[in-house]
Amino acid sequence: MEPPEKVAVKLDAAEKLIRRWDSTASEEARERMIFDGDLHEADRYLQAIDEIQRSMDSATVSDNQSKVSSAIQIAMTRLEDEFRNILITHTTPLEIDPNSSIRSSSRTETSGEFDDDEYPEENRERKEEEQEQEEEGEGEGSSTSYQTTNSIREIDLIPSEAIYDLRSIAERMISSGYLRECIQVYGSVRKSAVDASFRGLGVEKLSIGDVQRLEWEALETKIRRWIRAAKVCVRILFASEKRLCERIFDGLGPAADDACFMETVKAPAIQLFNFAEAISISRRSPEKLFKILDLHDSLSDLLPDVDLVFGSKSSESVRVQAAEIVSRLAEAARGILSEFENAVQREPSKIPVPGGTIHPLTRYVMNYISLISNYKQTLMELIVSKPSTGSRYSGDPTAPDIELPEPENRSPLALHLIWIMVILQFNLEGKSKHYKDASLSHIFLMNNVHYIVEKVKGSPELREMIGDDYLRKLTRKFRQAATSYERSTWLRVLYCLRDEGLHVSGSFSSGVSKSALRERFKSFNSIFEEVHRTQATWLVPDTQLREELRISILEKLIPAYRSFLGRFRNHIESGKHPEMYIKYSVDDLETAVLDFFEGHPVSQHLRKRSQLRNELS
Amino acid sequence: MPTSEYQGSSVPLSFLGRSILSFRRNQIISMEGTQEQELEELELFQKHVADRFTGLLSSRPSSDGIDNILSIAWLRKLLDTFLCCEAEFKAVLIHGHNPQIAKPPLNRLISEFLDRDVKALDICNAISNGVESIRQWQKSAEIAIFALGQKPLGEGQVRRAKKALNSLVASITSEDKESNGNTSTERAWSFGRRSGALIKERSSGHLRSLSPSVSRNWSASKQIQAMSGNLVAPRGGGESSGLASPVYVMSNVLVFVLWALVAAIPCQERGSLATHLPVPRQLAWAGPVIGLQERIAEEWKKKEKKGSAGLLEEIQRLERCGQSLIELADSFQFPPEAKWVAEMEVQVAELSENCRKIEEGLVPLQRQVREVFHRITKSRTEVLDILDQAGKPSTPVL
Repeated sequence: MEPPEKVAVKLDAAEKLIRRWDSTASEEARERMIFDGDLHEADRYLQAIDEIQRSMDSATVSDNQSKVSSAIQIAMTRLEDEFRNILITHTTPLEIDPNSSIRSSSRTETSGEFDDDEYPEENRERKEEEQEQEEEGEGEGSSTSYQTTNSIREIDLIPSEAIYDLRSIAERMISSGYLRECIQVYGSVRKSAVDASFRGLGVEKLSIGDVQRLEWEALETKIRRWIRAAKVCVRILFASEKRLCERIFDGLGPAADDACFMETVKAPAIQLFNFAEAISISRRSPEKLFKILDLHDSLSDLLPDVDLVFGSKSSESVRVQAAEIVSRLAEAARGILSEFENAVQREPSKIPVPGGTIHPLTRYVMNYISLISNYKQTLMELIVSKPSTGSRYSGDPTAPDIELPEPENRSPLALHLIWIMVILQFNLEGKSKHYKDASLSHIFLMNNVHYIVEKVKGSPELREMIGDDYLRKLTRKFRQAATSYERSTWLRVLYCLRDEGLHVSGSFSSGVSKSALRERFKSFNSIFEEVHRTQATWLVPDTQLREELRISILEKLIPAYRSFLGRFRNHIESGKHPEMYIKYSVDDLETAVLDFFEGHPVSQHLRKRSQLRNELS
Repeated sequence: MPTSEYQGSSVPLSFLGRSILSFRRNQIISMEGTQEQELEELELFQKHVADRFTGLLSSRPSSDGIDNILSIAWLRKLLDTFLCCEAEFKAVLIHGHNPQIAKPPLNRLISEFLDRDVKALDICNAISNGVESIRQWQKSAEIAIFALGQKPLGEGQVRRAKKALNSLVASITSEDKESNGNTSTERAWSFGRRSGALIKERSSGHLRSLSPSVSRNWSASKQIQAMSGNLVAPRGGGESSGLASPVYVMSNVLVFVLWALVAAIPCQERGSLATHLPVPRQLAWAGPVIGLQERIAEEWKKKEKKGSAGLLEEIQRLERCGQSLIELADSFQFPPEAKWVAEMEVQVAELSENCRKIEEGLVPLQRQVREVFHRITKSRTEVLDILDQAGKPSTPVL
């Protein structure tokens, strides 16, 4: 135990030192910062404070009680300013350089790279992310992948020496009972830093009203950016701030580090999530599905890390909000799917697609479904109820009463997809009725159902979900349509080439009625020409299907014509102007059929063209 | 870019935009329930609104401040009232998936209503933000309370208390001014490397309210103005004023509640808040609402001249107690006279009690605001759902 005089002297010196640095008292004190200068100065100052604190703890001081408490207050004010100064001097906002790594002013422990310019398209982006996750452990030198932030990585936001100083200061402030001030200073500076980092990361300040007003395309870009930014914010920025608080405040006061952390990040975190929340409550429409799923997946992915970083009781509201948003996004996805189904069912355009080709609705829906199958993993989890196949209002004539092909173990998602295809077809059947020409409506159905089948076959995931049974059913359907077409058009034509009615039994000539025969040929020619002219403008876009259909026509047409010609040409050729009746050779017909379903009109007379061809060849 | 999403399809998305996907109703859906039943429901709804707001009006100001108007406790009751009204309203509106709302003239009203909903959500967020400011002030006050509670009281403690209180009062009074928010911290920021200049910033530096989480030109008062701007009482009498009436009532309730919140709690740009809302006096349910409005408007006129940050009773008290404690502290001499100490203790007790109310009330208040947010969102989604099922693309609805 030191003699009281010595204590008193030390105390006196300490007090003088503190008063020397009272910035309300001296110019010099205002101009310089203790911790910027000489290490020893800082040490001396801190020791002076310790000295005074010691004296306050011991019972001896009674008369200069006021003086001492006054000194402490001056010291604390000073420390507050020093603390702030150190924080500000050593803090720089997080920088994300598109071509290099995330860093702050001090050395980083890890790096993450961003390539902001190349936005891979939807499907590829998902596959790339999966690829990254695999390549994750392979080191940073890899030039083909870029690492995204897939796990928590804390970086040093402030150099260690500064942290040491900060901790020393905090210690004194807290043990003097100035914890609150300390938290306030810390929070205000660090929060500004976080705000600045947000700006650097492109986190925008959009109100819910702003988000609702923006065009979806613009929002898609923002969502993409947000997803990347959010990963950095949660896994790097917030995690690092948390660690910084721990390094400075751990053990210094009751939950001091947590209080500082909350001061720093709670509001920014809420601001960050507000954007996702605004998206989750936006008006539902089909084209939004996939970006909403992306957002859902990435936020869902982030949740465990959010829970970790915001683990304390005081940050519960942040965790809760994040979880709420995820479930809202899931709801939105479900709602959109449901709305999509309604839309497909009700799509009312009555204008027939020229040429009976593939309807844009078919393309849209099938492409949409294919994309859905890419998001199969998430959607399988989200979609849990079966599609509502009953019409919503009783007596609604627009609802198909087709039962869903009864599923053995099909997932709800698969049921939805099948249902969509069912209602698509139903809708298409309705549309096919708008064609005045029955043959064309068959072609239309054939084309569209065939397209559906090809799309399903083209996507293994889709095929697996839909199932081969249903696929076969669809195949039968388009083949039936083809058959119906043939009957509808060609029966008429072939009727001209039938045998009955041509033979006359009579006394004068056994055999054929020339006039009837001539009529037949004339009919055949004119019907065929009309069919040729008309159906050349029809379109069967799929090459193979087009070929098959033509071959099928030829298979019926050519033998019939050949046989007809064979049996009856003599009768015509023996009369006047045979060329008026036998206009076409078998070759001519074959050539003509090649024009069918090409989708453009034929301007030249059939025969002239085939003559030309013969001349040219 | 859209084309690539659809794997080679050349269909532009807009082809199948909402105009094509709309559905023209050509069948008549019969209304569920009879007309009479509906009228009854409507009247009941309006009566309940009137009753509930009368309940709010009758919180008489008293010395021990039980539920004074615009106190935290009163705001909580207000929000509670809102939630009750909203629940009833929803039942009336969405009763039986009433497809009436998709048809004119109701659909336009509904569309405006939905638009108000979106603004309301933003205001809820702004209020939540503002509550954080209050929490900051509470913390400053607590520093002073703690300091002044030390025994024996030395000059240091008093100075400490004064510093905290100065900060508090400065922050409250400057809160509403446009120049606040980021600028101060940014100034401090830019001086980062020149440490000396920092000292000057310290007094106002750290109590800045949260930097706004929306762009600087978002204005709470403008939002409220826009919301109340198109509130038009439905013409009385039959046709489909059936549902128009509750929509009108609920809209007014919504606007009033938000208006009161914005008047009470600091949020971005509330300076130009209108002091009255256009509610026609003759409507039966409107009486208590108008009464409340007038009371609040009075307060507003009184206080706003001093540029206060919010009419919340607890904020006002923070400012008042803060000021008077500062004055008291100015007259401090060591050792303090008993009289001075007694006076100080009384004031500190008041401040302390105030902080306790804030401490107790703020978290539940925030939770309620969030609940309001959820409810509005949910109702909005349900209404949108009905509209979508009806298939009609309403006029640009948000």
